Amino acid sequence: MTDLQAIRDEWVGVEFESAEFTIDRDRVIAWAEACGETDPRFTDPGNPDFQAHPNFTACLSTGRMMPENFPRIGSGFGIDGGKTVEVHGPVRPGDTLTGRASIHDVYDKTGRSGTMVFVIHRMDFTNQNGELVSTVDSKMIRSR
Amino acid sequence: MAGEARAFEDIELGDELPVEHPDLSLPAIRRFTEGSEMRFPRFLDHEAARAEGLPGALVPGLMSQGFLLALLHRWSPGCTVRKIDTVFRGPLVIETEAEVTGAVTDIDEDERTVEVDLTIVDDSGRTVVVGTAVVEPAA
Repeated sequence: MTDLQAIRDEWVGVEFESAEFTIDRDRVIAWAEACGETDPRFTDPGNPDFQAHPNFTACLSTGRMMPENFPRIGSGFGIDGGKTVEVHGPVRPGDTLTGRASIHDVYDKTGRSGTMVFVIHRMDFTNQNGELVSTVDSKMIRSR
Repeated sequence: MAGEARAFEDIELGDELPVEHPDLSLPAIRRFTEGSEMRFPRFLDHEAARAEGLPGALVPGLMSQGFLLALLHRWSPGCTVRKIDTVFRGPLVIETEAEVTGAVTDIDEDERTVEVDLTIVDDSGRTVVVGTAVVEPAA
């Protein structure tokens, strides 16, 4: 059986990839409108506080959810268990964000359907001024 | 601002947000995939989704989270959502009906924020998304 403590010790907090993203105005508007947003801060480029919907950064990925040498945990395909988005500041069209990927946590839970392993993938986004603007945690679940 | 700001002092524990019914039509999903660049067949094509063992084409989880954010922005115009946490408990199939609900479950007087529990229920009555948001009202 996989030693989760050893995996935690080796991988939690280790940044394994980064990428840059330029925030596109049309994508920001399409996202907000499709979600039924009616607040002009998120839909109207003429609004003085125009910005991306708070969870827009959750679609920005470095392309890799796990470090290259990360051990295989559990069986089957991972299930998307959910997303947590923390907003530290506004993300505006034209911003250049740097996203840094890390493993934030690894743990297991046992329930009626057996033991499940949870891997929390974290992306921290800073803008072109070096300000942390968004943190996105993606929860991936595998059966053990 | 989309409407009159809801004052922090006017929010009470247990307040319920107005129930909303999000647009789960294919054009809406297609618009979201343009914004997200998540143009996967499982979101746009029932047959392709069923071939993957799914009950039909699915509403992207991030779009569901976006419905919750839009509800919060209408309930408390001008607010800032500091954090939103969602758990995807089951598939939400496109071109169906769903209900988005919310209720205030905690109030932090020091931070002047409120915690709102949120759900999306599909047309069979199953809760497919649950979430919690920390909201800072504008006033």
